Amino acid sequence: MATAQSIPAATLYEALREAGVTDVVAVPDTHQRSLIDLLVKTGAIPFIQAATEDEAIAIAAGLIIGGRRPVLQIQHAGLYACVNNLRGIGIDGEFPLVLLVGLLGRDVAKPPRDNFDSMVRYAEPLLDALEIPHVLLDGLGDIPRLAEAFRMAGERSGPVAVLVGAATA
Amino acid sequence: MSMSESGPCMSLDAALHALARRRRDQVVVATMTAMAPWRKIAATDRDIGCVGFMGGASTLGLGIALARPDVPVWIIDGDGSLTMQLGSLMTIANAAPRRFLHVVMRNGVYDTSGAQPILGAGTVSFAALAEAAGYARGVRFEDAESFDAALDELIEVDGPVLVELITQPTGAGYVTPPPATSKSRHVLAMTWPVLRDALRREA
Repeated sequence: MATAQSIPAATLYEALREAGVTDVVAVPDTHQRSLIDLLVKTGAIPFIQAATEDEAIAIAAGLIIGGRRPVLQIQHAGLYACVNNLRGIGIDGEFPLVLLVGLLGRDVAKPPRDNFDSMVRYAEPLLDALEIPHVLLDGLGDIPRLAEAFRMAGERSGPVAVLVGAATA
Repeated sequence: MSMSESGPCMSLDAALHALARRRRDQVVVATMTAMAPWRKIAATDRDIGCVGFMGGASTLGLGIALARPDVPVWIIDGDGSLTMQLGSLMTIANAAPRRFLHVVMRNGVYDTSGAQPILGAGTVSFAALAEAAGYARGVRFEDAESFDAALDELIEVDGPVLVELITQPTGAGYVTPPPATSKSRHVLAMTWPVLRDALRREA
């Protein structure tokens, strides 16, 4: 595989806007901090900060009930932390949640599941175990996968994860 | 006024009836022991129940409140549930939904699992925790009469407001549902679109 490339925050931001995202619900992620900075600076897409990823999932579900189209922005460690709400709300509740998950600490020359770091290595197998589809953003060419994730989430009425392969620029 | 071993308290039914008498267009997010009695006395298509995602009722309600600031949102929470996601008090305070009434039934136990005491059962104050977290107001009532007398005013306060009600355990326990089958759908999956559609109709 080619080495994963950082995607500029502005590119991701535009992709979120084009996907119709109305709100970002987040627990701050080091890996995506440039995107967080941009979201907070521009303020055009409300940035809703939660104390935990469990809360973020519940907030996003409530936003969907109220007619909004949120995206969750978390880190891989947060993905592990929120498995119960991902299951109980996202899967059992059939909410079309899209999660941006930062793979902090990844060796970008290797596929995530070939990394030594357990936080990186187990992300995809965990999602597979939960039967949650996932796509990997490893460079500019993968940006269309974001819109694809929203389409999939809507079609399956369930969560879809977008793994951010390299730290955002 | 009823009494528990530790002092005065109210029945869950009395607390719910006080809320039900004021029910208009509010979205009500209820959890655990309060869900079944609330359904019996005040259910509308603006209700949603939370079970299986421990402590998530208030943040689910927060999302609805942020999406629809024109609609008042009431949370009927439990002390054991809130304890599982106590940081949500800060999340809610930070988001500062104005029409947000967070009612916590403080019976001091995990009612559905055999009445084991919650941590801090004799000492913790959820009203004080809420105010310390940044809620606009946190208040505590030990009897239904006082709660009923104050509720009209509390509903009008710019929130978020947390009301801690000292209630008796119901002893109702948990009714284990039949094992899920391939045809089963979770009740949440069937109810939230109804609430979404009700909100859309009046957007």
